[in-house]
Amino acid sequence: MRTMSARREIDDTPAADTGGGSAARVQATGHSKSDAERLSSLMRQAQDGDAASYRELLTTLLPLLRRVVRRRCGAMPAQDAEDIVQEILVSLHNARATYDPARPFLPWLMAIARNRVADAARRSVRRSAHEVAVERFDETFWGAETYTPADVYGDPEALHQAIRKLPKGQRTAIEMLKLREMSLKEAAAATSMSVGALKVAVHRAMKNLRAALG
Amino acid sequence: METNDLIRRLTAAATPVDRLPPPSKRAGYWMAAALPAVALVVMLVSPRDDLAMKLMESRFAIEQAAAFLTAIAAAFAAFYLIVPGRSVWVAALPIPPLALWLASLGDGCLRAWLQPGADGLRFYPDWICLPAIALVGFVPAVVMVLMLRRGAPLAPHLTMALGALAAAALGNFGLRLFHQQDASLMVLIWQFGSVALISALASWNGARLLNWGLARRAGLPRP
Repeated sequence: MRTMSARREIDDTPAADTGGGSAARVQATGHSKSDAERLSSLMRQAQDGDAASYRELLTTLLPLLRRVVRRRCGAMPAQDAEDIVQEILVSLHNARATYDPARPFLPWLMAIARNRVADAARRSVRRSAHEVAVERFDETFWGAETYTPADVYGDPEALHQAIRKLPKGQRTAIEMLKLREMSLKEAAAATSMSVGALKVAVHRAMKNLRAALG
Repeated sequence: METNDLIRRLTAAATPVDRLPPPSKRAGYWMAAALPAVALVVMLVSPRDDLAMKLMESRFAIEQAAAFLTAIAAAFAAFYLIVPGRSVWVAALPIPPLALWLASLGDGCLRAWLQPGADGLRFYPDWICLPAIALVGFVPAVVMVLMLRRGAPLAPHLTMALGALAAAALGNFGLRLFHQQDASLMVLIWQFGSVALISALASWNGARLLNWGLARRAGLPRP
């Protein structure tokens, strides 16, 4: 694989129109003219469907894109930065018909890279606008008003007695749906009762239990 | 997905692509598709009776020429903006014809205001303008969106605003060939206003109409 002799980051490429003066720009991006022409040639061959050239091009660009993203998104976690690099590669793939081989390649690539990095920054800002940084969650469970573990079921023994006294259908429905937390579908399959019958049974059972437990 | 896997998959999907022609050529193609559609609508609705006479009027001719030039400039700018690495300043290209159009209408308003009596500045609702411009500009707008979607959506809101401006300006150009409304204030508010509204709405929906659509267009899972 061919390696690039980049001495400076290439994202210094000016955003302005890049029609002329390619030699000066090649100097500015730290690439020799032959490197730039090589990239342009690889891209042209990739547009013609040459998979080997395309692979060489993308592999060659990868370290450059990583540097660009790292430089522009310094504090970003490595995985997020790699996601942006991947987005740039896919965007390059989608937009490859827009490349004009008569024009320099790097300004074309950097316009896409800048756009995807900016999109990622906007996404990040939007996400952080909806998030609240919390250093520690307030513990309320030990407060006298909120620490009520014993109040949840009142008297468990009385509850068991009341369930035991329910008619068989209602008792089965309560056991399946409330105690074992099965879904209506699962309970219907396990008991051969219909979903409707289970709903009615559990409703009546709850009513009876409320009456029994006061 | 690992980046090397992604490169492998992109390489496997590297079918030959048709390079986009230069923006000027694409603007020409768009005009070639849009003008017959506008002409068809004008013929179907039937051109205004006094069209030959109106074409001789310098104000009418200037306003129609300005609308037409605005359409061409906006179309060129929109096609220019979807090519990465090109200057965004080209978006200012429709400003001169737009300014000429606006100046002509403003001058007409001023003259009408200075005119005493019933011929002075008149204003009344003319709701037909917005749907009529939308109707005449419909095919140009659809063709424009389809052509813009082949490019890179680097500035979707600005690009869509320019694309819609091109279609709506052409729509207004067609409208004035069959709609007998020449009072400058009415044209300014109902016709120019409709063009501005259509452009603003298109700009607002720019990101919905033009986006990278990474997974869909590449046939690959989103990274």
